[in-house]
Amino acid sequence: MALLKYESQVRPPLVDGTKDYHQVTEDIVRPIEMKAGRLWWIGFLIAVGLLCFGIYSIYRDVTYGIGQWNLNKTIGWGWDITNFVWWVGIGHAGTLISAILLLFRQGWRTGVNRAAEAMTIFAVMCAGQFPIWHMGRVWMAFFVMPYPNTRGPLWSNFNSPLLWDVFAISTYFTVSLLFWYSGLLPDLATVRDRAKLKWRKLFYGVASFGWSGSTKHWQRHEALSLVLAGLSTPLVLSVHTIVSFDFATSVVPGWHTTIFPPYFVAGAVFSGFAMVQSLLIITRKVLHLEEYITLEHIDVMNKIIVLTGSIVGVAYLTELFIAWYGQNKFEGWAFMQNRVNLFSPLGWSYYIMMGCNVISPQIFWFRKMRRNLTVTFFMSVIVNIGMWFERFVIIVTSIYRDYLPSSWSTYYTPTIWEIGFYLGTFGLFFTCYFLFSKFFPVIALAEIKHILKKSGENYKETMGEAEHETVEEFAHEMEHAH
Amino acid sequence: MSEKKHWQTFGEHSNSEAFKQSSENEFHEDLQTEGLFDAKTPRRDFLKYLGFSTAAAALAASCEIPVKKVIPYVNKPENTIPGVADYYATTYVSGGDVVSVVAKVRDGRPIKLEGNELSSITKGGTSARVQASVLDLYDTARLRHPKQFDGNNFQEVTSFDAFDKLVAGAMAGLTGAVVLLTNTITSPTTKQVITEFLAKYPGSKHVQYDADSYSGLLLANEATYGKKSIPSYHFDQAKVIVSLGADFLGTWLSPIEFARQYATGRKIDEKNPDISKHYQFESLLSVTGGNADKRYTHRPTETGAVALALLAELGGSVTAPALDPKLKAGIQKAAKDLLANKGKALVVSGSNNTNVQIIVNAINEAIGANGTTINWAIPIQWRQGIDSDFNSLVADLDGGKVGALLVYGANPAYDYYDAEKFKSALKKTKTTISFNDRLDETTELCKYVIPAPHFLESWGDAEPKTGYFSLLQPTIAPLFKTRAFEDSLLKWSGSNTTYEDLFKKYWSDKLGGVNGYEKALQDGVVEPASSSMSGASFNSAKVAEASSAIVSMKKGSSFELALYQKVPIGIGAQANNPWLLELPDPITKATWDNYFIVSPKFAKDTWKIDLADRRQADKFEVHPDRDVIKIKVGGKELSLPVLIIPGTNDNTIGVAVGYGRQSTKAENTPDFIGKAVVGVGKNAFPFVTFNGSTIEWSALIDGTPEKLSETYKVAQTQTHSNYEGRTEVVQELTLEDFKKEPDAILKDRNEELKNYGGVKSYKEQGTLYSQYEQPGIHWGMSVDMNSCVGCGACVVACHAENNVSVVGKAEVLRYHDMHWLRIDRYFSGDLADADSIQTVFQPMLCQHCDNAPCENVCPVSATNHSSEGLNQMAYNRCIGTRYCANNCPFKVRRFNWADYTGADSFPDNQRGVVSDVTMMMNDDLSRMVLNPDVTVRSRGVMEKCSFCVQRLQEGKLKAKKEDRPLKDMEDVRTACQQACPTNAIVFGDANNKQSLITKTRQTNEGRLFYALEELHVLPNVNYLAKVRNTDEIEGTKGYKKEEAHA
Repeated sequence: MALLKYESQVRPPLVDGTKDYHQVTEDIVRPIEMKAGRLWWIGFLIAVGLLCFGIYSIYRDVTYGIGQWNLNKTIGWGWDITNFVWWVGIGHAGTLISAILLLFRQGWRTGVNRAAEAMTIFAVMCAGQFPIWHMGRVWMAFFVMPYPNTRGPLWSNFNSPLLWDVFAISTYFTVSLLFWYSGLLPDLATVRDRAKLKWRKLFYGVASFGWSGSTKHWQRHEALSLVLAGLSTPLVLSVHTIVSFDFATSVVPGWHTTIFPPYFVAGAVFSGFAMVQSLLIITRKVLHLEEYITLEHIDVMNKIIVLTGSIVGVAYLTELFIAWYGQNKFEGWAFMQNRVNLFSPLGWSYYIMMGCNVISPQIFWFRKMRRNLTVTFFMSVIVNIGMWFERFVIIVTSIYRDYLPSSWSTYYTPTIWEIGFYLGTFGLFFTCYFLFSKFFPVIALAEIKHILKKSGENYKETMGEAEHETVEEFAHEMEHAH
Repeated sequence: MSEKKHWQTFGEHSNSEAFKQSSENEFHEDLQTEGLFDAKTPRRDFLKYLGFSTAAAALAASCEIPVKKVIPYVNKPENTIPGVADYYATTYVSGGDVVSVVAKVRDGRPIKLEGNELSSITKGGTSARVQASVLDLYDTARLRHPKQFDGNNFQEVTSFDAFDKLVAGAMAGLTGAVVLLTNTITSPTTKQVITEFLAKYPGSKHVQYDADSYSGLLLANEATYGKKSIPSYHFDQAKVIVSLGADFLGTWLSPIEFARQYATGRKIDEKNPDISKHYQFESLLSVTGGNADKRYTHRPTETGAVALALLAELGGSVTAPALDPKLKAGIQKAAKDLLANKGKALVVSGSNNTNVQIIVNAINEAIGANGTTINWAIPIQWRQGIDSDFNSLVADLDGGKVGALLVYGANPAYDYYDAEKFKSALKKTKTTISFNDRLDETTELCKYVIPAPHFLESWGDAEPKTGYFSLLQPTIAPLFKTRAFEDSLLKWSGSNTTYEDLFKKYWSDKLGGVNGYEKALQDGVVEPASSSMSGASFNSAKVAEASSAIVSMKKGSSFELALYQKVPIGIGAQANNPWLLELPDPITKATWDNYFIVSPKFAKDTWKIDLADRRQADKFEVHPDRDVIKIKVGGKELSLPVLIIPGTNDNTIGVAVGYGRQSTKAENTPDFIGKAVVGVGKNAFPFVTFNGSTIEWSALIDGTPEKLSETYKVAQTQTHSNYEGRTEVVQELTLEDFKKEPDAILKDRNEELKNYGGVKSYKEQGTLYSQYEQPGIHWGMSVDMNSCVGCGACVVACHAENNVSVVGKAEVLRYHDMHWLRIDRYFSGDLADADSIQTVFQPMLCQHCDNAPCENVCPVSATNHSSEGLNQMAYNRCIGTRYCANNCPFKVRRFNWADYTGADSFPDNQRGVVSDVTMMMNDDLSRMVLNPDVTVRSRGVMEKCSFCVQRLQEGKLKAKKEDRPLKDMEDVRTACQQACPTNAIVFGDANNKQSLITKTRQTNEGRLFYALEELHVLPNVNYLAKVRNTDEIEGTKGYKKEEAHA
């Protein structure tokens, strides 16, 4: 009897090329040890520029009031909360990859999880800006914190979905950050051990928390990963569910919809994976990591995109059906007139949403398209445009014409400062991402090494012969090997 | 211890004399003290000075020390308790308009006006303009001292004595006559002073000039009744009201009084429902037309023909020119109803054409209105000016026949149709003196200007109707160096008494002593014990002549221009009042501008904009950019943006007067007329035409209006005008249907809520949550949509009471208006048929829901529910997430998008962010109008209607102090309720079985509905459905069928 095959015959390898452990370390740590390239600097400076513009936009909003934006007496939330939900949604892919796929033992996640988790953290950081700075009196924002205080019996209102948001987002951020950082420890230690410069030794030495690679460390590390994965898993579902409650628990026709929680979660995973695609397609190219982030990864993620995109599509159609079937005059109006009617003032946004989120991702039913980098990159951008418009459609097209026709709003377009704030979060996101990609291993080094044992050309070369042997032969060989 | 000695030098070792010497003197040097102590600034002083000057410079340069202006009373004035308001009865006087009011004075500042309920004319009602007039007192453009024009500029005259000397010099040795030009003056004492003054100058005369002239009516009455005056009207006595273009609920004569009377006739008694029938024939949709049961439109030049046709239908021996068959049918219908209600009918006309008014008088004669709905026993005095008098004055001025012109109140340089002629004529006059509160268009052309006090700073009286007096008393010491017009005249006529003494004496004499005078002053009104009613003998001699004159009247073939007054602004006397400028016009919902009003058909023909097509309408209404057109009338041009208003006659283009106030040098406008009027609209007065004896508010447009390539943004507070058949929001039904099925609405409600056991158990059954007791007071409001005429008095009252911010045009354009209370206006009917348009006015304010959707979404509980059913805002707690506003189905919450109140920043921080008008409202002077009982909200905070919680609190405390229960409708009234001339708003404790609110809800069960009731938000504001005395409700046409299918 021949040995059982370690490597699946159906699944392609997770890492391409013949690599040994050292080669992996070299490939991934090299960008950290090299001087930053011109491209990096250009990108980084653009990102910092955007961030500065964003900070100035917020400065105006805080100094002169929310009137710096084009919100009005009817449209209380516009770009601000649209952007908030959009960024939170993007974060979801990271947690899904790191937590749920870990629990499901999906080996392919190792190639992308580090970057995806980093993206999650940065996206949540960006998302958090909006609920904070959209407040009219942001200097009083601490009122939402339920802590013992001297303001008498005043306490936060636990009925408010916005308060639930505060808890949901802050919990999510904390857990994601811990998860990401604990995964980084062995890799940081690797960088530390290779470091030749003094500051690098110091920085990575402190950052790696004295990781020695001892079995005890590894055992605790694995245990911690599992615990955090367990904690994160419900968060993947809960965060966007709670964000959707902002709308679902309201009385606004078009917001008050029971389908929102699952539909928001699906949409979040959808947009999150699209963002991961956008980032990794560039990252793997620039940092020459094509052999770690393989076409196989791209393919798998595109499958998730087409799946979640279709779930979202079904949700859209269900909403429409219910709007008709429910015979609620106001809800019917919100859907049929404000959205489906292309000629209504903001009707176009509904069709952008439908086109980008439901129709265009169907292209990924074709394997060839799933593995085409140009198409994938293009689609990942399209999907995120579509998902931005989904939130815009939900938020703005619902409230701009609701119950009382007398209050139906004038046309809503953002001001430069509203756009500036959004661009600023892009600046924040990419500033963080550029720093991350320069100073941290963008691929989970230790985890890649872990799967190297059972996948890849290297494995085939060394283990290929052994696989043909019988168990007895193999055992004999092993006995005499030392 | 070691005795070892260390030495450094041999000298030290040997301890030589030379060493001793040198070590003693090692550092010896004499101090250079010379000149140090006897210098002018000794060194220590220098340091002192240096320290002081550095500190002082640093202090002066680095930080601005905020100036705090709190001046405590050293001696408390008698009868004044800080924090407790005093109320003084006084009178609003503006031109000929007279309204008895009660001024609320807090800590020496009048801050709010209420209607005087003792007045039998207004019975406590007010208008938007009356409510806003308190702000005029604190207008930043008011003149602060007497001025003299030196040929280039106005120079301050330091004292009244100096001014009097100047005037005496100017009045001496005049060649021409002395003419006193005023608006209509109703005050008996002022008239007396004027007579005395005129007596001093032989050949002098007094000319009364009214820009909103009623000459036509006065002359017609003279021709037919032999009396050059206007009778009292009784709309409440009329079962059928026909108005030929008279906007009697908005701007015609005495709208407060008429609105109250009208509403009396429109009140529904559910047991025996019957209301008056109101026909309106007009060219533009007015507030009155919006309330009409049946409305017909015609060209402005057809007004006379319509009157003639009506007279003919009523059996008059006149023949009317041919009219449109539909219009004709309408006239026949109206005539039929009028004849069927002889003695209980009234016809009024807004025309200023004498002949038309003669025909209208004949009509009223034919329907027996004389002595029943028209009362000649009590003539009204609001308007006395005759147009031709002023025209001859202008001719006199032009001919140099006038030596001195004294102007008080009148502003012909702005509102006379031939203002240029007046201006050039004025230049030929040697002495020109103006009594005015600001350097308006006429005053800036005068040589001597003496600041006139505001009515709240003045003594005085007024006689709106013969025998009905209303008194003025100062409520504040004059803010500026002002002197009453009467005082000046007295002084210049050589009298030693002051006007105050004269006034006091006049009334003491008249009322039998000081006690009577003081009582009258306290009451504010002096009225006869009982009112009388009588007709006047009618002389039909002039009717035939008038009829033939009307037949030969020139008719327009192309477009015609109709000039009208807007309810907020009128003729523009209070044009610099930001509250009024920001008050949306009841019909167009536009603020801060005047514009052309055209019919949907005009728009369709000219721009191919078909508002009946939803796609186009959608696109049109969401953008504020409006096309600009240019019209020509007799060589004069006017270009303004266009608003498409349903119900406008297809051949008529409307434009409001009262806008476009501007100084001769435009850059002077903010200082002379006021900051708020800068750039607000254009002056349409030059388009008023003169027909040989009176002015007319219409003109024939030459050719077709020219469309210009530019657009202009018009700031409307409401852009969508159709209620889309949403009967959940608006309920209206015909009188016929209501009689047939008085409980139709109740049935509908029960049907809608049948899953919850109907209306009765909906509150408990409509929720999963358990109920809680709500004992004690439970505030509730009822708004009768049948009584509300949409005048907007409540909106301004709310502004004044609750310190609601003015945001300016730029912000209204961005939909940032702050009105806590707004009047939603919906049109329904066929846009192509102007006659079919029906209008609904729905006052919309916070509904104080018992299950408020705004409350549970606030993350910090800044908005919460009081035990008395109030939905309250804790501004200090608000962090400004705006979630509550999103979740408010009524969209009544208002957010402070910028620092509108100047509450939390230095003015420099506001500049450029908020408009100039907001800056003006934040001036220290304007801020005096703020109600100290109400917080001014800072930037970033949500606000909304509080049901005037400060008034509720005051009322409760009063009752508590007197140890008694609250008196319904007396202790607490909201500002909107109190301001309303028609009593459309009822407010009180709904838990009290005896209160009016409870009774109103019980007795009007058939009309009662709650807006969006099925949301289970449980509003504490209910509405009473609008009942129209007409055949069909246009608003639900087509929707009812749909529902039946479903």
